[in-house]
Amino acid sequence: MAPTLEVRDVRKSYGDFVAVGGVSMAVPAGSIFGLLGPNGAGKTTTIRMIMDIIAPDTGEVLIFGHPRSREDLRRIGYLPEERGLYRKMTVTEQLLFLGEIRGLKKATLLPKIQHWLERVDLGRWAKSKIEELSKGMQQKVQLIGTVLHEPDLLILDEPFSGLDPINQELFRELLVEYRDQGKSVVLSTHGMELAERMCDHICLISRGRTVLDGELREIKRRVGGNSYRLRAEGDLDRLRALPEVEQAIEHNGVVKLLLRPDAEGPDTLRRMVEFLRVHEFRSEEAELEQIFMNAVRDAA
Amino acid sequence: MRLDGIYVVAKREYLQRIKTKGFWLGTLILPLFAAAMTVVPGLLITKTQASQTIVIVDETGQVGRELMARLAARDGETPKGGDKRGMGMDESRMARFDAKLQKPAADRAAQRADLDRRVREKEIDAWAWIGRGVYQEAPVEYHARSVSNIFTQDALEDDLSWVVRRARLEEAGIDPQRVDEMNRRVRLKTERVSEEGSRAEGGFGGMLFAMVLFFILYISILMWGQQIMNGVLEEKGSRVIEVVLSAIRPFELMMGKLIGICLVGLTQITIWLGTLGVLTAPGILASMAFMPKGATLPTLTFGMAFHFGLLFILGFFAFATIYAAIGASFNNLQEAQQAASVAIIFVIVPALVLYPVMNDPNSTMSVVLSLIPLFTPLLMPLRIAIEMPPLWQLLLAYALTLGFVWGMVWLCARIYRVGILMYGKKPTFQEIVRWVRYA
Repeated sequence: MAPTLEVRDVRKSYGDFVAVGGVSMAVPAGSIFGLLGPNGAGKTTTIRMIMDIIAPDTGEVLIFGHPRSREDLRRIGYLPEERGLYRKMTVTEQLLFLGEIRGLKKATLLPKIQHWLERVDLGRWAKSKIEELSKGMQQKVQLIGTVLHEPDLLILDEPFSGLDPINQELFRELLVEYRDQGKSVVLSTHGMELAERMCDHICLISRGRTVLDGELREIKRRVGGNSYRLRAEGDLDRLRALPEVEQAIEHNGVVKLLLRPDAEGPDTLRRMVEFLRVHEFRSEEAELEQIFMNAVRDAA
Repeated sequence: MRLDGIYVVAKREYLQRIKTKGFWLGTLILPLFAAAMTVVPGLLITKTQASQTIVIVDETGQVGRELMARLAARDGETPKGGDKRGMGMDESRMARFDAKLQKPAADRAAQRADLDRRVREKEIDAWAWIGRGVYQEAPVEYHARSVSNIFTQDALEDDLSWVVRRARLEEAGIDPQRVDEMNRRVRLKTERVSEEGSRAEGGFGGMLFAMVLFFILYISILMWGQQIMNGVLEEKGSRVIEVVLSAIRPFELMMGKLIGICLVGLTQITIWLGTLGVLTAPGILASMAFMPKGATLPTLTFGMAFHFGLLFILGFFAFATIYAAIGASFNNLQEAQQAASVAIIFVIVPALVLYPVMNDPNSTMSVVLSLIPLFTPLLMPLRIAIEMPPLWQLLLAYALTLGFVWGMVWLCARIYRVGILMYGKKPTFQEIVRWVRYA
């Protein structure tokens, strides 16, 4: 099955300044894809090139398996980083406008708008002007505007910035629901904790280039190593003597155990219970934040 | 290109703007002002008609009597043979007098002192003394509490001059009536020679219409240019633009925006013209009743009206694109306004070539100038009013102006597309050119 979105080595320069110097990524159908990177890495420029707001100098963008067309863009829900609403319009007028520019009819849109407003608890604000809403409410309206035309792909640039924890959770639920319907979500963020909780796949870019790309679980294992947390009594030197053990460092009764990449944790556990009294043994994945920091540092 | 995208954007622009209080305030102020201008002077005349009580002492025994009749006639009909009082606006027409004639007393000093006392005690406002020398050079004395009421004095002077001039003529044995008749102006009766043969016509009529159109367009552009510029700029500020551009092309957005704002402008102008029409119709009808026999009204054929309307709308769009381009190029109102002040050149230049074109509408220069897109909407109506240009010239002018509007919108869209994503510093001209290439 073709990826929902595929970006092939896109580049964009402004004079001597290289904004994006070669980004490639593939977003599988039915996944939440994190486009990660520090500020100024080129995430927003990449997204704008995907959305045909900026033309890339070179490279290719494929959507739903073929070179992107204007019609494809209408099947995308896009929430830019720099987002705003027309302050003088009412919530309903604003949402109608956003739906109508994507070719939907008023009669189709009105019930959908009603449904979504109820869903995010904005039902009674339908006739209020945007400028009368709080920032959080405006963000909800923006999100509705993004999903109103039931797109097959959502591209959200820093969707969680400025959201309170309750709204963050609401947004997260909606995105997971979207993914579960078999649709794809691309979200750009530098919030590693949320990305870690939500993303199935990631693409990490730094200084305009892809530095890491793939399934999050696999990356964690590949980059973060095969490490475990162990609490046990007995002869730790015998443990260190096992062939698959690369390192076993004890600190305050807790052992940080690093196995060779090809070793399987459960096998080692079976062997160590012969000479250790094990109270706790669990896989300790590298945190995305650490991977991120290391990758950015290495890229520099 | 998606027409529905243009339509949705234009609809939003139009409805959002027309719903604002500012629009209706701006739209209603001008007609109210015009109404005030037609009603207030009339009211002022009636309010300031409180007459001046004046005593006139006449030594000649003739001027005073005739002056009394002349002053009294100010309240009613224009006296026959009146030279200055008529249809024209003349502030001294507002002056009214409650005049009393006195013969000079034996003790003139006492009479003068008594008149001064009556002025001081506010029994009368003024007194005038007509000496025997009035037929020659001697002035008429005017004594009043205030001598700053120039309109009243002017009126008195006019009427005195009229009476004395007639007396001088009669004394010289000349009939004043004959002098009035002999002094009448000679007028030109203009006839336009056209395909349908000669026909009498108020030659200035069509041209007057074209000139009015010229100035309405001129004023509309000056008023609406800024609005269009702001409208384009505000889109950047709202930051909705990226979402919009993910659904429609920049050209569609720009065209929709322009159409929407221009339609608001045209709505306002239509309301103004309609109101002005209603306000001035009674005046026009009234003046028709006074028209001499044989005079014809300015003729405005359907063809002329059609071209005038179309050229006006095209002109509005053509100039709007200039302001849209400025709005697209800059980040904030202040910078844009500086550039907009330069843009006024595009509006002024056609005005400079107005008279050469009017004088010879078929010269090569006139033809060429009237085909230049930004000049067409201002110069072509004039040419049409004077003499209908050949069809090919009209069609070419329309095509060129439309092409210009299209090209400008395209250019604006290119500038806009990059310009919206650039923040901070004011762009240089070279940068704007580069944006057009990059987009």
